[in-house]
Amino acid sequence: MTARTHPFQRKANLASFQERVVFWSLRAFTYIILLFGVCIFSIIIIKGAPTVFDSFRVTGSFPFISNDFLFTKPQTLHVFKYKGEIKQMAADDYYAFVGQTPAPPPAEIPTTPPAPAPDANAAPSGVAPVAPVAPAPPAIPVPILTTTGINPDDITEHETYSYAAGGIWPQIVGTVLLVIGSMTVALILGIFSAVYLSEYSKQGPFISAIRLAIVNLAGVPSIVFGLFGFGIFVLAFGWNVSLMAGWFTLAFMILPVIITASEESLRAVPQGFRQGSLALGATKWQTIWQNVLPYALPGILTSSVLGIARVAGETAPILFTAAYATSDKLPWEITITPDRLSSGALGYLEYPFLWIHDFVFHGVNALPYHIYVVSSKIPQNEYTERVQYGTAFVFLGVVMTIALASILLRTRLRNRLKW
Amino acid sequence: MPTPVHSSSYSNGPAAEQIGKIRETLLLMASLTDRNLSLALRSLVERDDKLSDAVEAEDSQLDELEVSLDELVINHMATHAPVATDCRFMLVASKISSNLERIGDQAVSIARRARELNKEPLLKPLIDIPRMAQIAAGMLRDSISALIDRKAEMAQEIIRRDKEVDAINKQLARELTSFMLEDPSTITRALNLTLVARSLERIADHCKNIAEEVYYLYQARDIRHERKA
Amino acid sequence: MSTSPTTIMDETTPTAQSVEVVMNPASPALDKSSRFNAPTIIDIDNVDFYYGQSKALHGINFPIKEKLVTAFIGPSGCGKSTLLRCLNRMNDLVDGTRIGAGSIKISGVDIYDPSVDVIELRKRVGMVFQKSNPFPKSIYENIVYGLRLQGINQKARLDETVERSLRGAALWDEVRDRLHTSALGLSGGQQQRLCIARAIAVEPEIILMDEPCSALDPIATVKVEELIHQLKQNYTIVIVTHNMQQAGRCSDITAFFYMGRLIEIDTTEKIFTNPSQRQTEDYISGRFG
Repeated sequence: MTARTHPFQRKANLASFQERVVFWSLRAFTYIILLFGVCIFSIIIIKGAPTVFDSFRVTGSFPFISNDFLFTKPQTLHVFKYKGEIKQMAADDYYAFVGQTPAPPPAEIPTTPPAPAPDANAAPSGVAPVAPVAPAPPAIPVPILTTTGINPDDITEHETYSYAAGGIWPQIVGTVLLVIGSMTVALILGIFSAVYLSEYSKQGPFISAIRLAIVNLAGVPSIVFGLFGFGIFVLAFGWNVSLMAGWFTLAFMILPVIITASEESLRAVPQGFRQGSLALGATKWQTIWQNVLPYALPGILTSSVLGIARVAGETAPILFTAAYATSDKLPWEITITPDRLSSGALGYLEYPFLWIHDFVFHGVNALPYHIYVVSSKIPQNEYTERVQYGTAFVFLGVVMTIALASILLRTRLRNRLKW
Repeated sequence: MPTPVHSSSYSNGPAAEQIGKIRETLLLMASLTDRNLSLALRSLVERDDKLSDAVEAEDSQLDELEVSLDELVINHMATHAPVATDCRFMLVASKISSNLERIGDQAVSIARRARELNKEPLLKPLIDIPRMAQIAAGMLRDSISALIDRKAEMAQEIIRRDKEVDAINKQLARELTSFMLEDPSTITRALNLTLVARSLERIADHCKNIAEEVYYLYQARDIRHERKA
Repeated sequence: MSTSPTTIMDETTPTAQSVEVVMNPASPALDKSSRFNAPTIIDIDNVDFYYGQSKALHGINFPIKEKLVTAFIGPSGCGKSTLLRCLNRMNDLVDGTRIGAGSIKISGVDIYDPSVDVIELRKRVGMVFQKSNPFPKSIYENIVYGLRLQGINQKARLDETVERSLRGAALWDEVRDRLHTSALGLSGGQQQRLCIARAIAVEPEIILMDEPCSALDPIATVKVEELIHQLKQNYTIVIVTHNMQQAGRCSDITAFFYMGRLIEIDTTEKIFTNPSQRQTEDYISGRFG
């Protein structure tokens, strides 16, 4: 009896073998990439999450819960042996423990450590254990005791690690401010130039050259943008290291992406909307403002999400333009002394302007920069890991939150303006 | 109440307007023909030459209507490419108008014969001719109302009446021939009467054609030349 | 004739002479009926039109009569849409287009004169497009868009316009209960009628329609055609169509274009029953194009 054969019988041949090999290799590559991603994320989450979640603390007043890692400033970690026992303390706790008069905090130091800048006003760190102070029975030579009755000679092997204690509140604030500000600047500039390029300009070799130049800008390394910002905004414009300089530097870095994406979105708006509007006697600007831009906006926002992640993640452009490793004041902690106001009653009207001026020309900290500092500028050991991974974890969270917010905004817009 | 005569599938708009115009023209022709036919018969029966003149005068109007109806039909066909009932209506309207026009011509011919006959006394009392005329006029009216009221069955019934007219015509011809054989002086009058009868017979034929067209319009079946029974 | 349709193209390529004959404004059929003695509203006078270097229209010369429906027919690329878009200067939006010679006068004013405000022109010469293009707003906002552009915002005035325009476009009864819902919820035919309503809301004198039914099903097409028939009571309508039957059904005057030239213009009945040009007959009989 012959085997059941038919014209479509499956046969082993080279093509089907090749097909199978290709399928499995493609699949393997994809899953290897996925595996790496999972590894990176899980290390950050496993090592970073405890830093954040262990720092929750119930407080006596509203909002009854606080997180020392998220909402306090960084401090120097003091590690020392006290009577043979290893102790870790944040700077505040250390000085409270030993009872010395803390050294006056140095002024803002824009450079990198070693520059411990303990802030006397910071909240006490949760890391510090309350020292069980047994009244030391004085022995042979009477040592000079500190105000808290501690013999400095009992403290041995004293080491300090900058930023390894306390929290990262200024960095979070700085990142959020940089993202919001630079996205605003980039969207305004980007949309306006995209509108010009795709709606107003006469298409020709000149405009094509401009477009090509813009696209190529996207390939410029971010450190070059940092130098550009430093040269133009910090030095030439005299903005110093400030939020403003950071905003514009970052904005210029992502402008190519925004312009290209905005042009795409504008092109995606049906031509009929423009013609219909023009045929009803609308001017070009009326048409664009009322009948093109609203429908392009969701698309523009979608692509800006990418820009957000990039703005939040870049270290190089803000290295010279906006970031301090440490700053004793948040941007809104501004005091305007009366002598800066003009004399007379009108002088008080200047107050808001001065406030805004000081705000935007204030340098900030930022999460990516902080990660860079804590992981490359201070010694690496078991005491510093906590802040490194904690910061990375928070950073991921911040970027995701901002991206999520813009995705929600986009969805809302799109639902309202569907065509 | 259904719309009289075929009404377009278009509710309004130019197509409905044009079809309406064709319908109006057709009905106008029908009523004019009907009037001319009865005037012609009255001129014969009442021996009134004035009525004969009226028939001849009004026939030109009928001719003009036929021409303008054909123009309307071809314009509508060219510009609207009618299909289905609309399409049949175009063909049928043109044919009916042509039949009506010929009925009008026969009425004119009757009126002319009547004028001749009125010059001399009657050959014999008019019995058969009014009967034929009654049937033929009835056929015309009925076929038009079959068109207006969309009654295809009525059309079939009209077709049967044509045989009656034919029979009377044959019988009358025989009778008049015998008159002529007996007395040659009656030849002119008898011939004229024969011609009147023949005209009436033709009119009945045209009415039959109209009825067949009406049947075709509403049933989409051609019943011409189906004489089996 | 029907056996050799391919020969039509070369032997009837328009010559200046043949064009001259039909462009004579004293066409007997045009003058025959008093219906066509309406005053001229658009006077197209020997217009040459260029896309960059290529000449798209060659010496187009004919009048468009007031409150009649004029249809432009012809095969694709014959220049009929180009000419239509010249009438409200929508061609200005395309780079490199220009009128090389001649003029277009609307109510006696040359619309390509530098003193003409194209915005005012487009208010008077409305346009309906091939693809219905309601804005993704409510039905109400679609209609009042043109008024709002002019700065009219009184509610009573807007309400009144919405009702008048929708009634004018035979759409009022269908949408009166959902004026504030999205216009995109309407069917294709309703959307196109909404676009017509939107165009008549700004009270133009002339409405240009660029293949308004090409995306519609037959029922919706009939509705739009009936609407065109009603609208000619109050508006002059110029319609471009590649559906010859549509031109037959809803126009009073038909102009046939071929290769950028006007081949024949006459009453629609004349064009469709007895065109004087061989090319016209071939085209309307479906033998080319």
